[in-house]
Amino acid sequence: MKKGLILTLVMLVGALSLFSQKLTVWSSEKQVDFMKRIGQEFTRDTGIVVEVQMVNFGDIKSKFLTAAQAGEGPDIIVGANDWVGELALNGLLEPIPKSAIELDKFAPSGIQAFTYEGKLYGLPYAIEAVGLLYNRDYVSDDEVPTNIDELMALAKELTTDETVGFAVVPNDFYQTYGFFSGYGAYVFGYDPQTGYDITDIGLNNEGAIKTGYLLKSFFDEGIMPQGMGYTIMDSMFTDGLIAMMINGPWSVKTYINAGIDFGVVPLTSIEVEPGKPMRPFVGSQGMMINSRSENKAFAMEFVINYLATAEGIYQFYIADPRGPSRLDVAKIVDEQGGPVPGDMVAAFTESAAGGIPMPNIPAMQSVWQPMSDALNNIINGTQTPEDALNDAVSKIKAALKL
Amino acid sequence: MNKFTTFLIWIFIGVMNALLVWAILLLFILANYGLAVVISIFLVLTDWAIFSKKAYPYRYTLPALLFLFILTIYPIYYTIDTSFTNYGTGHLFTRTNAIDTLLTDPTYYFEPENPKTYDFKVFVRYDEQYKPTEDFLLLLYDEKNMYLSEKPVTLEYDSRGNLIYAESELFPVERDQITVNNATYKIIRPTESLGTSGNDSIMAIEKDGEIRYTYFYSPVDPLTSTNSAFYNSVLRQNYLKSLNLVLKGQNFRLSSSTIFKKFSEAYRVYDTSVKAIVDGEREIYKTVLVNTLTNKELVERDFAFWDYNENGELYRLIGYKDYIGGENFAKIITDPRISGPFFKIFGWNFAYAGLSVLFTFVVGLAFALVLNDVNLKGKVVYRTLLIIPWAIPAFISVLVWRNGFFNETYGVINKFLMGSLGIESVKWLNDPFWAKVAILITNTWLGFPYMMTISLGALQSIPGELYEAAVIDGATRWKQFKQITLPLLMVAVAPLLVMSFAFNFNNFTLIYLLTGGGPAMAGTSTPAGSTDILISYVYKLAFEGSHGQDFGFASAISMIIFAIIAVFSYFNFRFSGSFEEVSR
Repeated sequence: MKKGLILTLVMLVGALSLFSQKLTVWSSEKQVDFMKRIGQEFTRDTGIVVEVQMVNFGDIKSKFLTAAQAGEGPDIIVGANDWVGELALNGLLEPIPKSAIELDKFAPSGIQAFTYEGKLYGLPYAIEAVGLLYNRDYVSDDEVPTNIDELMALAKELTTDETVGFAVVPNDFYQTYGFFSGYGAYVFGYDPQTGYDITDIGLNNEGAIKTGYLLKSFFDEGIMPQGMGYTIMDSMFTDGLIAMMINGPWSVKTYINAGIDFGVVPLTSIEVEPGKPMRPFVGSQGMMINSRSENKAFAMEFVINYLATAEGIYQFYIADPRGPSRLDVAKIVDEQGGPVPGDMVAAFTESAAGGIPMPNIPAMQSVWQPMSDALNNIINGTQTPEDALNDAVSKIKAALKL
Repeated sequence: MNKFTTFLIWIFIGVMNALLVWAILLLFILANYGLAVVISIFLVLTDWAIFSKKAYPYRYTLPALLFLFILTIYPIYYTIDTSFTNYGTGHLFTRTNAIDTLLTDPTYYFEPENPKTYDFKVFVRYDEQYKPTEDFLLLLYDEKNMYLSEKPVTLEYDSRGNLIYAESELFPVERDQITVNNATYKIIRPTESLGTSGNDSIMAIEKDGEIRYTYFYSPVDPLTSTNSAFYNSVLRQNYLKSLNLVLKGQNFRLSSSTIFKKFSEAYRVYDTSVKAIVDGEREIYKTVLVNTLTNKELVERDFAFWDYNENGELYRLIGYKDYIGGENFAKIITDPRISGPFFKIFGWNFAYAGLSVLFTFVVGLAFALVLNDVNLKGKVVYRTLLIIPWAIPAFISVLVWRNGFFNETYGVINKFLMGSLGIESVKWLNDPFWAKVAILITNTWLGFPYMMTISLGALQSIPGELYEAAVIDGATRWKQFKQITLPLLMVAVAPLLVMSFAFNFNNFTLIYLLTGGGPAMAGTSTPAGSTDILISYVYKLAFEGSHGQDFGFASAISMIIFAIIAVFSYFNFRFSGSFEEVSR
């Protein structure tokens, strides 16, 4: 028995070293360990070695762009859905046949997030959207505001020289999008049949201007201090100096570790006007396959049969607690537990379910900088919201050559 | 020179020649002709320099010239070349590459509705050591039929040696026997299962009663999983992954919708076709790409291939890189969104670089003069402390300045300094004027230690007698500085100041990290910021623009910036005459 085992091992090792076919995966640090483990299972079953390389999340896309066009680079990348448009336009992503996956088990918003021009270019492992985090030292569970007026009133009450009642990164379009969409602003018109219409930009409509005035009023009314940015917000909440803030699921682990007693409510439970809830951007993370890879068939097998299974997505969730993209993972989380309390995951997932998928078309790249500029100018009072947003839209149009 | 040394030299020349010839061949195979030619020329020149007595001095300069070429001239050439192309998002590959992809990539195969699918088994011949060889047979089967395929005959590879197409024919097996190309294959089953027509129990296939192909692998048979390593990494990788099996006009491929566990009917969407075009009197034959499903010819425009969708609208399939002439340069002048804020940014760029040099030099020189004072105690300590800003990586200190010092509410300057002085807080990074001040303060902090160090060195070289003579003549300290120190110092330092100007002119990192170019200019239709310098403005246009990255345009702008700096440096050197002073 033992002899046989050793013989098999020797043969296996021999086989592996002889045929050095190998899959390379680029992933950010959190997932590397468990992906290596799942990779070993794949190696055991197929004889193809899986090498998981750690690449900073912010660098994966640009490095991949350079490497893949030279016919090199990884076979699989783990990244965000808003990369899909640009990479697919460049012909660097391999479409995944929808017939090969259990489509009904995945959250539809996750699948939509990775769909570009009718083809699926990645399998999501997480969907996420921002929610409202509140520190229970200041706000009790039944005090949580349900509309903007309540939020402003409560925030005003809780703001002192030291503490901040309510915080959001005011010049970050992603973080503030919930307000915009609540008031009826949108980035590009969307039609499920034809996709996004980049000539229809809804960022200087009535709703957008209302949002501009609202964000400005946070500063005029003294709720938020000038110079609020993500790092400051993050560290102040960790220190217990912020009562309520808008932030995403990626941030909560730090606060739990810091011993902050806080709760999360979905952003969609807060109305900007009666009957109009805030609807945040929904982002999705997933696995994409390099179309220039020599081993894309193996890469597809690895992604579909090993990583994107219920068990695989659960592993992703353990490593990086964002909302799991598969609906059947919730059951495993209930049974086996996870790093973040279930109610928080549920709140973020609800927020994502009611949110709006972030457009994954390349045109979206022209939106961030002009909108951030506009938000800055509004907050500083350099421009009125009308002027700032009109400027932003004309910048976007100019960039898109409309 | 003794014989052994000569021998060593010969060995060295041999090895060098061998390595370079190998490199040249490799570069040719990889289709990198430019570099291959350059290295060939280098090889010839080097051999000539070694063997010819006349070329003696070149022996030592040639390697330097090679590196000059590879590291400087080639990148410059490449930038110039790129600036005349549309290289960027959507236009990454060559036209040939794009066509290759359309013709061979599995993405552009379609499976008909309800395709016919077959399970398959692999049979392999073992060698004498009982190791599997790459000689194999494929058996496709469903409930009723069996088909046999020999090892693929037509194989195509791309320039990198990857299999992109393989073809083989399927032959129906009847009564466990088939004759293909004068060879008879017989299916061997275990004796006890005689009479069954199922496919579950085939042990081997025998060719002409001599060569035995043993049952090796099936993706649905767990008993063969130990062979999966050889199957996956050798057979599938080298033959099956792009294999097209032909059976009576039907084509079969490993199907991605069954995750490669079955063969399924699949056809190429795009194919080439020859079309006759009447050009005046003559007929010209032209190869075009055709969609085999709709029978429509692909449209080629804007350096991309387009196909029609169901509604008859064009959609973009794949783009390619090509030369577009001076379009990128014309854009800088004609595109109002670029030329509009260009001069504002241009002006600030000069002011920023000039003031940075001035401030760092003044502060650095002041400290250098203090440190140079003979009466100062503890010089080493002071000097060490003053060098610190230089020692900390700029990436870190700039972020500290941005978040720790200049933040409007929480920054140290506004919170404590301004607060205790009773001055209203300053919008450091959000007001166009103060953002510029913030940048100059930070850059002065980062740059003065360098200026201090070079000034200290230059001050040492000024002879002390000059000062003694000046004291005797009754000159004041200020007069001494103005008449002796500064002129003599400038001789040594002026070229470095010019260099520092050139460096700051393109100091992207500082701008990007400190303000990101912001605050935004109001009322423009480009993402121009008040503190943007040319290079950061261009970065925004080229890399954060409409459709991702635009390398062609970025290259064009880089060349313009290079030209500006070159012209400026030329006049600067000329009129300051600094080099003449140094060389005297």
